[in-house]
Amino acid sequence: MSESWSGGRRTFIGIITDETERKRAEDERARHALALEAANKELEAFSYSVSHDLRAPLRSINGFSQALLDDCADELGESGQDYLHRVKASSEHMAELIDNLLQLSRITRSEMKWEQVDLSAIAGSIAAEVQRSQPERQVRFDIAEGLADQGDGRLLQVVLDNLLSNSWKFTAKQPQAHIEFGAERFDGVPAYFVRDNGAGFDMAYSGKLFGAFQRLHPTSEFEGTGVGLAIVQRVIHRHGGKVWAESAVDRGATFYFTLKTGEENGSGGKINLVGGRQSG
Amino acid sequence: MEGKLILLVEDNPDEETLTLRALARSGIDSQVVVARDGAEALDYLFGTGAYAGRDTTIMPTVTFLDLRLPKIDGLEVLRRMRADERTKLLPVVTLSSSDEKHDIPTCYESKANSYIGKPVSFIEFTETVRQLGQYWMELNVPPGI
Repeated sequence: MSESWSGGRRTFIGIITDETERKRAEDERARHALALEAANKELEAFSYSVSHDLRAPLRSINGFSQALLDDCADELGESGQDYLHRVKASSEHMAELIDNLLQLSRITRSEMKWEQVDLSAIAGSIAAEVQRSQPERQVRFDIAEGLADQGDGRLLQVVLDNLLSNSWKFTAKQPQAHIEFGAERFDGVPAYFVRDNGAGFDMAYSGKLFGAFQRLHPTSEFEGTGVGLAIVQRVIHRHGGKVWAESAVDRGATFYFTLKTGEENGSGGKINLVGGRQSG
Repeated sequence: MEGKLILLVEDNPDEETLTLRALARSGIDSQVVVARDGAEALDYLFGTGAYAGRDTTIMPTVTFLDLRLPKIDGLEVLRRMRADERTKLLPVVTLSSSDEKHDIPTCYESKANSYIGKPVSFIEFTETVRQLGQYWMELNVPPGI
């Protein structure tokens, strides 16, 4: 507001802004933030309850099936015992599903901590770990050295763990299994990859690859819950990157991921983005 | 394991049966006292309520404490144990059927001696109980001795 005198006349000049709209928007933002916080809290309580309360009955189902097998094996006969083994296996499978679902929901909620991550070191220690889990298997690992990038170390560990464990699993029937971790350039950014010479999959179904509970192999052939790649995709998307795969039945699979967006519509990418549709 | 005593704090009768079964199958023949909620556990430890007049010089060698309990939950039981001269040093193993990670630091902050996640597979659980029994009843030297 300013005041001036001119020819005996007093003039006031002022600027009036209607603050109503700004206030309203501010209030709305605050309301949204509160609602979001409440929703997050509720989700946390929900997943806490799921992990406690769904597991307890599974422990009973598993435990008392085992009790029957231990105490009443003779009365049960062979088929009775077989049925109980199936009940037990199902309860363990369901526990695994619950764990994976919770992991998926936690990954969505957890805060990202950006840091320089030594991907080669992580891949190396996971390779050593899976090898220890089945020392009888002969698998050649080639882990490229010196690969590091900006990201959330804990989440990227989950990504590499899922991809390398998948390769380990799907090369089980391959007498000369070979698993590789490396990087190529794609749209001007590094595309890290995990490649194996295992069972592979039909690219016609690649759209299902990253959906939760989607499986491209029967459980009888390869075990799993079908949540692993959904988790991978979620982590990569949270990094602002892309994930896709290339494969052919019985000719292995390669999973690529980037941790940042490349040049949009870049044509310089070396990699043929056949399976890239499902990633976005 | 003469004179050694386990206090099992567990409200779920299935869990109780399975834990007792796992203890028996792992060859742990100590006496087991079962408290079915947090209030009962505190009554046992401090000789109050239904346990009025109990000889409280006899304390459990180890307490297996479930976290989710009616009335007074496991963490509160633990805090009250740590706040009382008679029980502040007693070994307490907290048992949880969840894999929620945020329980873990809370348990240690409340001075639990150990945190164990209960596996769904009973065979694995029996092995867990066997190792717990061996460690806390045989290897570990309790504070009162």
